[in-house]
Amino acid sequence: MGNLTVTMTDVKGETSTFSDVDEGVSLMEVAKAHGVEGIFGDCGGGCSCATCHVYVSTDWMAKVGQPDDIEFGMLDMVSDVQQENSRLSCQIKMSAELDGVEVTVAPASAY
Amino acid sequence: MSADSATLTPAEQELIASATLADPAVQAQPHAFYRALRHGDPVHLDPTLNSWLVTRHEDILAVQADPLTFSVNKGYHTQQARGMQDEYQDILRRDGGGYFPDAIMSDPPYHTRIRKLMENAFTAHRVKDLEPRIQETVVDLLESVADKGAADAVKEIAVPLTIRVIVEQLGLDHGMEDKISRWSVAVTAQIGRMQNREQMVEAAREICDLQHYLIGKMRAREANPGEDMISDIVHAKIPMPDGTVETLTFDEAVSLVRAMLIAGNDTTATAISNLFFILATRPDVAQLLKDSVDDERKMTRFVEELLRLEPPVRALSRMTTREVELGGITLPEGAHLLLVYGSANDQEEVFPDPRSFDIDRPNIGRHVAFGGGVHRCVGLALARMEVKVMAREIARRMDNIKLAIAPEDVRFVPTVATRTIEKLPITFTRRSA
Repeated sequence: MGNLTVTMTDVKGETSTFSDVDEGVSLMEVAKAHGVEGIFGDCGGGCSCATCHVYVSTDWMAKVGQPDDIEFGMLDMVSDVQQENSRLSCQIKMSAELDGVEVTVAPASAY
Repeated sequence: MSADSATLTPAEQELIASATLADPAVQAQPHAFYRALRHGDPVHLDPTLNSWLVTRHEDILAVQADPLTFSVNKGYHTQQARGMQDEYQDILRRDGGGYFPDAIMSDPPYHTRIRKLMENAFTAHRVKDLEPRIQETVVDLLESVADKGAADAVKEIAVPLTIRVIVEQLGLDHGMEDKISRWSVAVTAQIGRMQNREQMVEAAREICDLQHYLIGKMRAREANPGEDMISDIVHAKIPMPDGTVETLTFDEAVSLVRAMLIAGNDTTATAISNLFFILATRPDVAQLLKDSVDDERKMTRFVEELLRLEPPVRALSRMTTREVELGGITLPEGAHLLLVYGSANDQEEVFPDPRSFDIDRPNIGRHVAFGGGVHRCVGLALARMEVKVMAREIARRMDNIKLAIAPEDVRFVPTVATRTIEKLPITFTRRSA
């Protein structure tokens, strides 16, 4: 059991803090393990489906970093809900530097 | 039937009352039937197939979100050689080294463990590393026909490409395209619902042949592992919830290698055939491709819109494990469903003007060409890459692509499972550099 902390606000607006997160685990995996609503992770963390889309809190964006081209291409598939601070949570791996990171689950693409 | 039926045209009412997805004419040109069902009877019992056709996007998403109520294991294995299952399985046991149920066509929690093994093989980043090799293969194929000015885009380009790519990944032998293509057709036919007994027996013989070939390769890799996916599967370790580690049974491993070989090659080939069809028949799309070829974002969207507009996989199976309500209908336990992806991708409330080719759709990722939920296609990144590289290289090398037959003479494989062009004779010129 790790000792890193992650705060997630789910798609319904409910905020939870998890303080036992291991280094190297992705935020998608953290969300799935705790049943955070709105995170599906269909493709299993392969950066191929955009069902683990989160908005990174602006304060944390610099440390979390920008998506690479492949991830950007997937975020662009849901461009109606894409923002400057959009990331796929499967591509954010926990590290000491990200201890305390805060993200909000993005809504699904609209009809 | 829902209240919407009042707004249906007489022709639509007639389609709902009498048309069936078992009819090859409906399979070939299904959109009017899909539309009538979405508006008039969105969860529709097709009496000929004895399957419920789930045609609305929101209902398909609801099914995909509940894999325990809507079982892939029961749905898929019920559909397989339906009506002739005992004989089918007996043939494989007697002559094919065994009957191996598809381990990936299963339900959680078992499915979750099997699926994990497959996920790492085709992440978008791993597939990106394969791009140069896929590019070489595409260029070889296009160059082999480029100066002839005519080709069958299915048999000479699409099918050989997808087979060559997966053959390399699995570490199988080159030069077997015809055989692997026949094997793929035989396996896919088992969920197509269109074969008679004779055709089933013939297909089962092909599958026996396929299984002996794969088993031989697997035995060899058991003894001498290589840098290929068959070796990975044969030697895979599955972490269990209690912390122990298990290996796959041989039966499971055969089914997974078989799935890897077959699942992606026919469907991706179909996507590429559809690409040629649309380039040959829609000058605006051909121009759009030329204009997009150096823009990675546009190319990604181009591929996605192609998959939305013409999803290779038409419909896949589920079976209810309890009584459940879906789209206003109460389904009994044991109801067989077909999730009609082709219909959901054509739903006008989700994708306005659905027959238009529009790469700027803001919700383009909502299409269900790859299914969704825990069973979402595991090879999706590889499929996208193959189609994208093909589209790019076509744009660079070929021009004036035209059908060599009338569009209405294009034939589709008779099956409920996919919408697959049988052959596509085209003419073209070489693009001057």
